[in-house]
Amino acid sequence: MFQNTKCECGHQNPVGTVLCESCGKPLIEELLTDENAPLEMRYDGVARRSQKSNPHIVDRIWNFFSSVKIAVYLIVITLLGAALGTIFQQESTLINLTERSEFAAYYKEEHGTLGVIYHALGLSRTYESWWFITLLVMIGTSLVVCSLDRVLPLYRALSKQQIRKHLQFITRQQVVYSGDMQGDNEAWITEFGKQLKRKHYRIWQEDGALLAEKNRFSRWGPYINHIGLIIFLLAVLGRGIPAWHMDQYLALYEGETRQIPGTNYYVKNEKFTVDYYPENELANNQKGTKVVKLYETKARLFECTDVCDDPIQEPVLTEVKQHDIRVNSAMSYKGLKLYQNSFQERVRFISVHPTLMDVATGKPIGSFDLLMDDPIEKYEVGPYTLKLNDYYPDFGLDEQNRPMTKTREPNNPAFVFRIQGPNLQAKGEIYIYFPMPSEKSKFYQKLLNDSFKQRGDSQGVFSIQVENPIVDGKMNNIKYSEYTTYLNIRMDKAMPYIWVGAAISMIGLIMGFYWQHRRIWLRIDEGKLSLGGHTNKNSFGLRADVAWALGRTGIEVLPKSLDNRRNVR
Amino acid sequence: MGRYRKTIQYIILAVVLLVGGFAIGNSLFSKSVVLTKGDKPPSFRLAGLDNQVHEWKDYEGQPLIVNFWGTFCPPCRNEMPALQKQYEKWEGQGLELIGINLSEDRLTVESFIRQVGVNFPILMDKDKRTEKAYGLKQYPTTFFIGRNGKIQEVVIGGLLTEEEIEVRVERLMKS
Repeated sequence: MFQNTKCECGHQNPVGTVLCESCGKPLIEELLTDENAPLEMRYDGVARRSQKSNPHIVDRIWNFFSSVKIAVYLIVITLLGAALGTIFQQESTLINLTERSEFAAYYKEEHGTLGVIYHALGLSRTYESWWFITLLVMIGTSLVVCSLDRVLPLYRALSKQQIRKHLQFITRQQVVYSGDMQGDNEAWITEFGKQLKRKHYRIWQEDGALLAEKNRFSRWGPYINHIGLIIFLLAVLGRGIPAWHMDQYLALYEGETRQIPGTNYYVKNEKFTVDYYPENELANNQKGTKVVKLYETKARLFECTDVCDDPIQEPVLTEVKQHDIRVNSAMSYKGLKLYQNSFQERVRFISVHPTLMDVATGKPIGSFDLLMDDPIEKYEVGPYTLKLNDYYPDFGLDEQNRPMTKTREPNNPAFVFRIQGPNLQAKGEIYIYFPMPSEKSKFYQKLLNDSFKQRGDSQGVFSIQVENPIVDGKMNNIKYSEYTTYLNIRMDKAMPYIWVGAAISMIGLIMGFYWQHRRIWLRIDEGKLSLGGHTNKNSFGLRADVAWALGRTGIEVLPKSLDNRRNVR
Repeated sequence: MGRYRKTIQYIILAVVLLVGGFAIGNSLFSKSVVLTKGDKPPSFRLAGLDNQVHEWKDYEGQPLIVNFWGTFCPPCRNEMPALQKQYEKWEGQGLELIGINLSEDRLTVESFIRQVGVNFPILMDKDKRTEKAYGLKQYPTTFFIGRNGKIQEVVIGGLLTEEEIEVRVERLMKS
């Protein structure tokens, strides 16, 4: 349909204009039928930028995103989708599981049929799902397009405002006054302007007309808020870049140093402490329960400085940071954060300090240090040389009754030595040593050493044992870790951008919330004063301003009586 | 302003397509570490029992069997002799076979290898890094990798008999 967009004042307006950009005369039909109804002042009545009479396919896509209605739908759908993700625990929080089948089993076990459906629908990964990300991208697009389409025309309209507006534009504002004037009109207008100036309005005057305006900047608040939100959203999407985001867990027993996977850093757990409140510090209803006072990992962070990628040599590590990691006190180094996550009470052997004994005399010959991880192969004890022939960290027997290790952990270590030295048979003595002070290991130790004796591999000259194995109820001459600590290691390079985005967004919100854009137009035609005022919020304040300025220039009115909408609502 | 309107529209929509496409694509093809047929195996750089550095690129382009094993895993122990026999049989025709040990102590590995009499390269994984990169869930896991550097078959769990290995090696050599 052909639409004449030229206003009677001679200004050519774009398609979709509600109020003439120049004089403010209402242009669309709905506004022309009732000549007294207040005007729709959104975006000052200017057309959205992209409105066209015959839109192209790209324009159609653009217009889709340009619609605030669509934006609201998108936000509502996203909120509902996000809510779905909160029904059951998300996969990303189940740190011990990695495989799809494991997750499936978990949801089935925990939540039954509902859990199976939940997992099958992919809701257990809601926030990483393609549809959720798509919604976020669409909201982002809508933010950009909506803002751009509105802020540019609005900026244009506000920066070249006509002082003399169409009479209907003035009389159909939300705040209006009209009355007959006597005396010098120009002088009155000047005086009225002066009064408004005291209220921090900026004044433009043209013969018989005036425009007063204040706090225009508050109109830019929403758009600044949107810029902040876009930065925020981009930063969140930026987490998809692998180098930007890391979230992993590392288990460390006391004394263990491990590389943080994917980085050049190594972390060492010096000691883990868990402390409970003593009975007298507990509240009455907590008596008899264990309430944790402190979880602490004394940690050291190292950076590899040389031979970092050589599997033959040990890397050269330089300590870069030391910190006692507690709950809410993470170790932080160059964007890397190490949080205390959990712990496990589990005894793990680190080393043992046994003594070589002469069985005949029952006397000690000497002692040595034996590591559970990568033990060295030769030990000199007194006049004897102990060569480590075999090491089984977790001793057991396979189907053919050959000794083997059952796991990779030193749960029940066994060391097979060949002892050589003076007055021994040429091939030496074979001896198997179990450091674990348990009945079962000692039984195995005896059984196997007896069989060596029978085979002639040993004459039973030596025994190896820990002297004073128990002191004060604690294992002596054995180094072990009591706890394994679990650290959560995170890196989030998007975080600074998220903060910047949030700050900008907040600035925008404050601008929009705490200031109002107020404008007052007036014209005097043949002794009749017509005044109209508009504000985007707090019309009470605007009416007070107008009534105050009128009062100071000899026209006493009640602020309430200026409200043009009083008869409508 | 009006003149640039279309250009700006296209630029913004292009940026949205790019950024959005990246983000959505990322979520669609999320990283699953389980390797299957046709995948290129992750590269590794490990110390061998021979104290040499062994790298993936040393083996790329040759028919290759990668066997992940540990002395703590009975089926791994049991299939070792069969692997060794097949290695001896096909070695001359260009077959490479490496056994990647599952982050055990050197001494433990050495003494087992000595007992079984294995002479193909044994590589020592460290802190389960390579194992994780290959997405291992069960032991042993054996990857048959073709000349094109892509995985032809993954055999999870034991026990591979000599015949079972042979059939696969023949397929591997033909590729």
